[in-house]
Amino acid sequence: MIQFGLETEFGITSDHDGEVDVVAESIALVRSATEPGVWMCWDYESEDPHVDMRGFRVRELRQDTDEAKYFAQDAERELSFVEIKSDLVLGNGARFYNDHAHPEYCTPECRTLAELVAHDRAGERILMACAQHLSDKRQRAVRLYKNNTDFFGHSYGCHENFLLPRALPWEILAQGMQAFLVTRQIFAGTGKFAIEAEDKFLSPGFQISQRSDFFSELQSVDTMQRRPLINTRDEPHANPKSFRRFHVILGDANMSPFATRLKVGTTALALEALVLDPKRSYPKLADPLSALTAISRDPAFRWETLLDGGSRTTAVSIQREYLAAAKAVCDLTMPEKRQLVADWELVLDDLETDFMKCRDRLDWVAKLSLVREFQAAQKVPDDDPWLQSLDLEYHRLDRTEGLYYGLEHAHSFQGVPEESTVRAAVKHPPSTRAYVRGRCIQKFASAVISAQWDHITLQGTHGPIRISLMDLFAPGDVAEYARVIDAARSPDDLRIIGNVAS
Amino acid sequence: MPDQAQRTRPVAPGPSGGGEGPSAPKVDKPNVEELLKRMRKVDPDQAKRYRQRTGQ
Repeated sequence: MIQFGLETEFGITSDHDGEVDVVAESIALVRSATEPGVWMCWDYESEDPHVDMRGFRVRELRQDTDEAKYFAQDAERELSFVEIKSDLVLGNGARFYNDHAHPEYCTPECRTLAELVAHDRAGERILMACAQHLSDKRQRAVRLYKNNTDFFGHSYGCHENFLLPRALPWEILAQGMQAFLVTRQIFAGTGKFAIEAEDKFLSPGFQISQRSDFFSELQSVDTMQRRPLINTRDEPHANPKSFRRFHVILGDANMSPFATRLKVGTTALALEALVLDPKRSYPKLADPLSALTAISRDPAFRWETLLDGGSRTTAVSIQREYLAAAKAVCDLTMPEKRQLVADWELVLDDLETDFMKCRDRLDWVAKLSLVREFQAAQKVPDDDPWLQSLDLEYHRLDRTEGLYYGLEHAHSFQGVPEESTVRAAVKHPPSTRAYVRGRCIQKFASAVISAQWDHITLQGTHGPIRISLMDLFAPGDVAEYARVIDAARSPDDLRIIGNVAS
Repeated sequence: MPDQAQRTRPVAPGPSGGGEGPSAPKVDKPNVEELLKRMRKVDPDQAKRYRQRTGQ
């Protein structure tokens, strides 16, 4: 079974005279958190983002060229690396921290799409509570946006992570997923009223994806500059002999829970099909990088593209091939997966016959429909910068002000989880290894020495107790660990499942 | 030459669903009157002031 999680970087600004220092704002936001957790214990020693899936290690990662102008400002910060990061690991198993210049919320590892959608939303609630707290304290508003651009060519990501067996060869994985990832934007895009390039606004105009302007490589380990369609970072956060983590960096940050579920769920199904039938043939695009922007910017919404060999097809047809593979190969006994397949098929049908039918499910259609209606009513021309302001407002996290939430309150969206489910996800971890992390933090926060995705270490009477999560994926094993933690009265009781360092 | 926005504008759906553009939506149209009023209050220049740094 494939497990997954999301890591979302949010945009941040505040009512402030002059230019906003987004790094300072991001640090202050994270430090405004009131949810219980452990601070600044993230174990960076065991991370290495330089290792490449293709069997080598790069010397350095590319930084955005525009970042040079911030060098002096960053050098003046009288904070250590750990203080700038301000990591908080929460009782629901999530990680919340300042990633460079953005507040980032990483959901705990999830086993079901219902868990994932609830935890993605839980992150929104936690960040909004921080913004409210900080705004009250300063008496000036802090605003958060779940989007992927500032319309000046500065993009930030919503990454997806999928745990896969190492036995699936990288070449088959990377090649098999390429056409899927390039074409899934037809339902996973959030829409954008701008055409951009790295560090540049190019022109007004609508396209279906926020991120597609920012990819220029087929494969690489980088994530900030010259971003690749397929990220090759080999950092499994699990036993590297058994697992690999497929790190998807080209997705948009969806507001619609339906779109989040469809984006992650269909990707997980496509991966499952590859794992179960690695010899199956999938479409190969003639020019994947050109196709990414051409599909996103297609004014006719027909999304035609060329296959290797010269034949013409459409993004919908390519998606139908992956859908057929999922139906033929994947285990669809879980009701959640059967529903996902039905929703995938219906969305493809609707996109092909009348994309406006999807405005109750997909972000880009809902945004386009709403803004076009406003333009017609107010006679706003297509090149008016107001459209970018409205676009931004769609992604505002404030549930009383944001335009997405306005649509949701008008009952315009399918697939919205119950608020009680979201509130539960703010407090409680899902039924994966994240349960171990979350419950240790809930019960013994003051004893936690360090945490990572693949371990948590607590101080015991006779030394540190390190609980490895490297191989903890089978539900039966998670249940056994959960039983021990639920019964534990002190960290020492966790020695049964941990190793005591000498 | 039309600008990008004009070129990317979708063909308006006709009531009968005919023509080259997409047919009329069959889902109920949401009541967005209040939302359209709220949109009028959105500062037209807020995106010009919204500057972020490149992330991942």
